[in-house]
Amino acid sequence: MNTLQLHKKICLLGTFGVGKTSLVRRFVYDKYDDEYKSTIGAKVSQKRLVPLENSRKELIQFNFLVWDIEGVEKATPQVNHYLLGAHGFLLIGDLTREETIGALPAISEFARKIAPGAPLVLAGNKADLAPDGSHTAAVLAEVADRLSAPYLLTSAKDGRNVEDCFTQLGLLIAE
Amino acid sequence: MKVLNLEHILTQNGFGFAYLSADLAVLSCNPLFRNFAARQGEVLAQPLPLLFPETFGLETVFEEIAAGTRPFFKLETLQRDLPDADECYIDIAVYPTSRAEAPLFCLIQNVTPKAQLTQQVYQQQNEIRLLESIVRAHQAHAALNIWGTSEPIRQIRQTIAKISRIPTATILLKGESGTGKSMVARIIHHAAMGKTAPFVEINCAAIPDTLLESELFGYEKGAFTNAVSSKTGLLEAADGGTLFLDEIGEMPHKLQAKLLSFLETRRFRRLGSTREQEVKIRLITATNRDLNLMVREGEFREDLFYRLNVVNIELPPLRQLGDDVLLIAGNLIQSFNINFQKRVQGFTPAARQKLRNHRWPGNVRELRNAIERAMIFVESDMIDAADLQLGSLQAQEPSASPLERFQLPPEGLSFDDIERKLLEEALALAEGNQSQAAKLLHLSRDTFRYRLEKFNLL
Repeated sequence: MNTLQLHKKICLLGTFGVGKTSLVRRFVYDKYDDEYKSTIGAKVSQKRLVPLENSRKELIQFNFLVWDIEGVEKATPQVNHYLLGAHGFLLIGDLTREETIGALPAISEFARKIAPGAPLVLAGNKADLAPDGSHTAAVLAEVADRLSAPYLLTSAKDGRNVEDCFTQLGLLIAE
Repeated sequence: MKVLNLEHILTQNGFGFAYLSADLAVLSCNPLFRNFAARQGEVLAQPLPLLFPETFGLETVFEEIAAGTRPFFKLETLQRDLPDADECYIDIAVYPTSRAEAPLFCLIQNVTPKAQLTQQVYQQQNEIRLLESIVRAHQAHAALNIWGTSEPIRQIRQTIAKISRIPTATILLKGESGTGKSMVARIIHHAAMGKTAPFVEINCAAIPDTLLESELFGYEKGAFTNAVSSKTGLLEAADGGTLFLDEIGEMPHKLQAKLLSFLETRRFRRLGSTREQEVKIRLITATNRDLNLMVREGEFREDLFYRLNVVNIELPPLRQLGDDVLLIAGNLIQSFNINFQKRVQGFTPAARQKLRNHRWPGNVRELRNAIERAMIFVESDMIDAADLQLGSLQAQEPSASPLERFQLPPEGLSFDDIERKLLEEALALAEGNQSQAAKLLHLSRDTFRYRLEKFNLL
């Protein structure tokens, strides 16, 4: 069976300090750095996923162009330009700061305006710092339910569910 | 000629540029464009999204520009990894041209100096915002500040979450010294009360019996010989918030009756006053003593015990929390990294084993001190077993009790010297708390104080 090679633009969105850059570093380079460096503008990295099979039994290999975008809470012309042509969004909240999860519905709203058909996956990052069953994980589940999007609890630090987030997004795009 | 001049000016000013075909292939470009593309091999005839992945997905936008329905398009502050620069930020703009064979003109501007300045400003702003946001989160979900994943810790978190919804419930915290009773009291307070609600704490063992009553209830001018002015008591000071009475087991019997009366009516009188006052407080008490036993032995009022024991939280000793000791120690490293501006990553396997094996008689307080000491002196990015000084209480010979290890030297010893040393060591171990020091020597507080007086140690 032939494998379909597809390039897709994926945008990471969330407020400042939720760990977008750390997630990209873990996903693309399998590295982690504790130091917080605030992102300005955007940076594009590329990563080829392992081939995925969609429900039509087609084998697809994605080359993701991952946009690590500076922390945003509302739409700006500059950020809107970054989002043009996006095929999927990874919305990230920080499990140690509930307000970052509360900001996700507004972020999803302007992302969906720019790229209406693009699927969303939510990530509750810094799971290594949040106890299991923490209140914020429940809030994230509620937000994900409201946005009809899947969610995962991730940790860029120990790597948990980072790859799975992007795979999940790939599977949604493949459909 | 005009076009040539413009190209010259752009190159002189550090711009990269390229003419593009309708399908975005590079038809011609200047050397700087090649540099920004940072691509090995030929650039000409290559599609723009291959050279600048940032432009991938914008085909429709570029079609609009070529068709004249969009004046231009610009992507600002894009960070790029270039082989000859540590950090590079560029703007990419695409404009229409009047040339049919090359309808698009791509302009690349190096904006690194401006972006770096902006980054520094953002960095400072965001670090402050991040800290503020963390503080807000901790206040809102204070129970998260209790680190650990073991079952006892989960249960404590659940209990705190429940009682935070009932801000008047009286709580009794029980646990060994150093298990974090004071911290838990603060967490309960922050979980339930507003930001401005007072948290008033007093250690019943740290204040002489005669003063404790006036500290708690306050007094009016002239109430007793030295009452030269009126004083607000801690009950009043805690109005609208939390009063935390630590070491409640040390409260004198007479005062226990007065506290009970307050708990039943929520009203009290200052010493020397005839006027009753009413306050709304949450009372949290804590003890490391067995109050049930004290009740049976008549040292603690049974009726007060039941009043205080409405919600009972038992704080487990650290040795019962399994691998939580590693989790707590790891979090302490993060905390001291900030305080000491260090970048310690964690523990070596040997250090982890040492932390696991230790009995932690001083509980979290002892752990915190051990990590702090290690963090001060450690020079590598990992704390090793040798960096952890876990105190003389760690059994060197687990089977032998201190009494069994003690041997009278052949030349003999002064009994007074031994007694004095025992008193000093007990005080040091109890961090100056006389009641706890007395307990360590199995003495009553009065006997202990008598002996301190005998050696001028008071």
